[in-house]
Amino acid sequence: MTRKMLMFAAGAAVALASGLIMTAPARAQSGPVAAAMAAGTVGEQADGYLGIAGTVGADVRSEVESINIKRRAAYTQLAGQRGVTVQDVAAATGCQTLSSRVKQGQAYRIGAGPWQTKGAGAISLPAYCATAG
Amino acid sequence: MKTQAIMIAALAASALGGCIQVKAPDKPIEINLNVKVQQEVVVKLQRDAQDLIQNNPELFPQ
Repeated sequence: MTRKMLMFAAGAAVALASGLIMTAPARAQSGPVAAAMAAGTVGEQADGYLGIAGTVGADVRSEVESINIKRRAAYTQLAGQRGVTVQDVAAATGCQTLSSRVKQGQAYRIGAGPWQTKGAGAISLPAYCATAG
Repeated sequence: MKTQAIMIAALAASALGGCIQVKAPDKPIEINLNVKVQQEVVVKLQRDAQDLIQNNPELFPQ
């Protein structure tokens, strides 16, 4: 609970400080998190955030937290533009990451369920996800 | 003749007793649409979410 609140506070601070996350320069995608995702120790969650699925080092853990804080800031910004809740934006993004970004062999989680490994077929998404993207 | 009259009377009585009664409920019928509304919001946001992912590659490593 405290951690979530901290994340939220930090996310808000980042949003205020940087103003626009959209303008942040794109970094190379070959980081420790990408490697952990390939290894299945970090995965996408249906709630729109990254999660720790296995044993990871401190560097990966802090990078995951940092990414989640930035994601929340981006979700918050879009939610404000669309007049919806941050949770709605996060859930919609979760639908997208699970349907089109998680690759075979990578870990993912829906709700409070167990971590699963994506097989050859498509992930069976929560009912609220649209089939037509 | 008399027994026939009695039988007809009995039949009529049983037919009356078997009437189906339709009665409106006294309480209003409530339909919960929260789930559907939530679904529509998420569906509309799918395209926005797609753009968000594409515009922020550093937040969505693969």
